[in-house]
Parts: sequence; structure tokens; C-alpha cells
Amino acid sequence: SPAGDSWGIFTFLCAALCNLPALPALNCSEELGAGQSIQKTYDLTRYLEHQLRTLAGTYLNYLGPPFNEPDFNPPRLARATERVPSATVDLDLWRGLTDNARLAANYRAYSRLLCYLRALDGQAGTAELRHRLGHFCSSLQGLVLSIAGVMSSLGYPLPVGPAGPSVPPGTSVAPNDFLKKMDDFWLLKELQTWLWRSAKDFNRLKKKVPPAVVTLRLEARGF
Amino acid sequence: DSHTQYERVGADVTMKCGSMDWDAAVTWTANGTDIDESHLNGSYLILKNVDLTQSGQYSCYEGSSWHLKYQTYLRVGMPPKEPVLMCRSNNYPNGFYCSWHLPTPTYIPNTFNISVIHGTKEMVCEKDAFPKNRCHIRYVQLFSTVKYKVTLTVTNALGKSSTTVTFDEVTIVKPDPPESVVAKPVPNNPRRLEVSWQNPSSWPDPESFPLKFFLRYRPLILDQWQHVELSDGTSHTITDAYAGKEYIIQVAAKDNEIGTWSDWSVAVHATPWTEEPKHLTTEAQITETTSASSSSFMPPPTTKICDKGAVVGSGAVAVCWTAGLVLAAYGVLFI
Repeated sequence: SPAGDSWGIFTFLCAALCNLPALPALNCSEELGAGQSIQKTYDLTRYLEHQLRTLAGTYLNYLGPPFNEPDFNPPRLARATERVPSATVDLDLWRGLTDNARLAANYRAYSRLLCYLRALDGQAGTAELRHRLGHFCSSLQGLVLSIAGVMSSLGYPLPVGPAGPSVPPGTSVAPNDFLKKMDDFWLLKELQTWLWRSAKDFNRLKKKVPPAVVTLRLEARGF
Repeated sequence: DSHTQYERVGADVTMKCGSMDWDAAVTWTANGTDIDESHLNGSYLILKNVDLTQSGQYSCYEGSSWHLKYQTYLRVGMPPKEPVLMCRSNNYPNGFYCSWHLPTPTYIPNTFNISVIHGTKEMVCEKDAFPKNRCHIRYVQLFSTVKYKVTLTVTNALGKSSTTVTFDEVTIVKPDPPESVVAKPVPNNPRRLEVSWQNPSSWPDPESFPLKFFLRYRPLILDQWQHVELSDGTSHTITDAYAGKEYIIQVAAKDNEIGTWSDWSVAVHATPWTEEPKHLTTEAQITETTSASSSSFMPPPTTKICDKGAVVGSGAVAVCWTAGLVLAAYGVLFI
């Protein structure tokens, strides 16, 4: 029936759109000035942080207790610290970071976090959870690209070296189910903390980009 | 020799007269007043079901010689109940403070001991001189994934009690309320109020950690608040005020991304600008003619703002028009 066909097309379009990176403007990243790119990157971290709240809640429920308990406060095991990049940083060091170092730290962190997060996909419980994870990964990829855009517009080289973990995921599988779940728990925790940190990182960067750059780009966009 | 003795409310207290024998003849006094013999069991003083009013100095004198044989200061009180502990960062990212209090008084001296554990590390919470029940910690690391665990133990002569709070670095962020809130009427605008304020002085770095604000306002005569959330800037113009009504206005602050809203600022009151009513002029003219007063009509002070009475209308319109043009140009520049 015609009504059924159009509904099917609509659903297909939605699914296709959902799998695109969150920022359609990324195609024009060269056109965007650093000022606007930083703002967009900041906005994307906020969007992701909001999405992560729901996603983490669902995923932790899938992992089951004690991971989904609000008071759960496990000690940080050495193996977890090696694998997932930590947002934790000495306060004075963080303040003194150059723009380049600040951006590079974010770029490296999210590249690796994306890799680990993708590895979760195949194992997660329900189809809905897998779909949510997939959508989040796409958005996170958008963030990585956005940061790259900012770095290139400011003339900074992209950090070299493996974008992924030093040991490919899947090869260093946790020795038991509980430790694997602990790894997942810390991955989500670090991701959440990085998103909190990035908002502050990009606030600092926002202030430093000269406003002249913003005005020039406005003209280019025909205002 | 004298010492202090602590006893629970409702307890039965037996006081011995030092090294005197049970059957010695003694006199007890409480704060200098003789105690009736009915409270004595031999030379022992028995106080049953003590209450707070029985706190004081108890002395025992030998019967005949009136030598002071024993003296004690009785303090009736209670063991501490579970204390109330709260930690908050109003100066993020510099650190946080914890403050505590007892839900009910113990009536006797208490000591407080606080411990802060971050992961595996024990941190020192420096006690503040004022207020007393408060200590502060400086952050060494920022953006930590490991929670802070703060334990407060209250101890006194009758017992101890403790409580623990556990939290993430970002969840305890709560700024102080905005300062210097000022609300002013806007000349020639009967429905506007201009509100401005400042960042709380305790917030150390508004550049990297910007605050956003929440404004609430209502006319005094209504209970319903209106709210505006502002993501930057420390001023706002209310444009929908009821003409001529006095307003109450408050502002709250929050870190842009993390933590919770501050308490509401001190309330300020303001009334929008009101135009001098035209009918007053004609009434005054009538009064002038009927009272046959020789003095010329003096307009009330408010008309000074309006300049000349008849020109007020067009003058206000001219101002509005110019302001509109400027705003439009401004808007075009910044879209």
C-alpha cells in the first residue's frame, strides 16, 4: 500500500541520517574559521555528554550490579589505567597547556576512546543498546574530526602515532568476565570525565582565538 | 582535688566522697547549696535520672571539720548522634570545603575528626579558623575519575558517631550566589527593568570556567515567578513587567557545564518607570483657579525626566526609534 511504502522510506531515511556524523557542516570544515570550529566542537562535547548519560545508564544496567549501583567506587587497577587515556591532570599543568598541547591531548584521547567504544558494539546486549552505541560512536567520530579541523585551521599538525590503542582490542581480552566488565566501566567513566574536561578545554580555547578570524568567516558565508 | 565527670541524661549517678568510708558523716553541696540527706546513701550521693539542670559543681565536706574532701564538676549531656556532613566546591577548580554540624546538641564538649580519601591517597583537610566546623582542601589533580570519600567522626566523653559522604569532583560544584544585584527602571519604558549583577567573588576563574545565570522575577502582588536562563553576560532587561508594579528580582549562578545551581541571591526590588499621568495637570489648573492661589502650578518632580509635558510622547517615540535602529544594526553585525 502507498502509505506503507512512504513510511518505509521515512524509516530508512531516519536510519541513514542517524548513522551520519552529528555535524553535517564538517564537510565544509576548511571553510570554517577557528573561532566557529571551536564553538561547534564545544557544542558537540555538550551534546555527547548529554547522550552519554543515557547510554552509560543503559550499558551499566546491562552489565548489572555492582556496576549500575550509584555508590560503586572501585579502586583503579593498573591494567585499566594503561589502556584507556585518562582526563585526570595536574591542575597547574592543565592551566599551562599550550593551545596545541591542549587540542592534541583531546584529539588523542577521543581517537583512542572511539576505538575502545567500537569494540563494545559486538558484545552489547539488546539491539537497541547496540544501535545507541553505534549512534554514539558516529557522533564521537564527528568530534574527532571536528578537533582535527580546529587544529588544521590553527596550523597545528595532527598528532602522529597510532590512533588506536597500542594493543589492538580483542587481543588483550580480560582474563575473566568481571574484569572485562570493570574495563567497560572505566571506559565509560573516562569518556564522561573527558567530556567534562573538554568543555573546559574548549572554553579556554574560545577565549584565545582572535575575534577578527570570526568576522572574516562571517563575510565568507555571505552575511 | 577536683575533676570533671560526664554523665548521660537519664542515668543514675553515684558520687563517692573521695576516700571517705561509706559510713562517714559528710555534707554534700551542689553549686554551694546543701543537698538534702534524702539523696544520700551513707556518704554516697545518689542522683537518679539526671537531667541537664543538675549539671554543676558538687562538693563533699567532712561532717564536723568542714574540710573539703572531694569536688567534682558534673556535666550532664548526651553521646553524639550521627553528624550532618556536607562538602561543596564554590571555588572550582581550586578546591572544595566540607562543613558539618550535629543535628541535636550534646551539651558537653565534642571533638571532630575528618578524613578525606581519594583513591588510595589520604588528603589533609585544613581546618578553618572561622567558621569552626569547616575545613578546606586544595585540588592537586583536576578531572579525576576516582571519587572522594570524606568521613567525619564526632567524639565526646559519652560516645562517638560518624558519617561518610562519597562524591565525584564535578558533582559538588556549587557557586556562591551572584553579588551586587542591581535592578533599575528604564526611563520612558513602563514595562522594562534593567537588571545587572556580578560573578560571585569566590569563583576564581570565570574566564575558563564561565558561569551561567538564572533570573527570576515577579510583582510583589503575585506568587508566580517568571524565569529566564542566561548563558552569558551579567545583565538582562526584563521587557514584560506590569506597568507601575513593584517587582522582586533574584539571580542564581551555575558553572556552565557541571555541578548545581547556587542559592538565590539577595532579593532586589524595583518598579518600572511610570509616565506622569496627564490628568493631574488639568486638575491642578482647576485647583489653581478655584483656590485663587497666586503661586504658579509646580509640576511634581517626576515630570523632570519627561522634560516638557506635551513633548513627552514624541520624545519617547524618538528614543525608541533610534534604539531600535541601533539594535537592528548590532543584530545584523553579529548574526
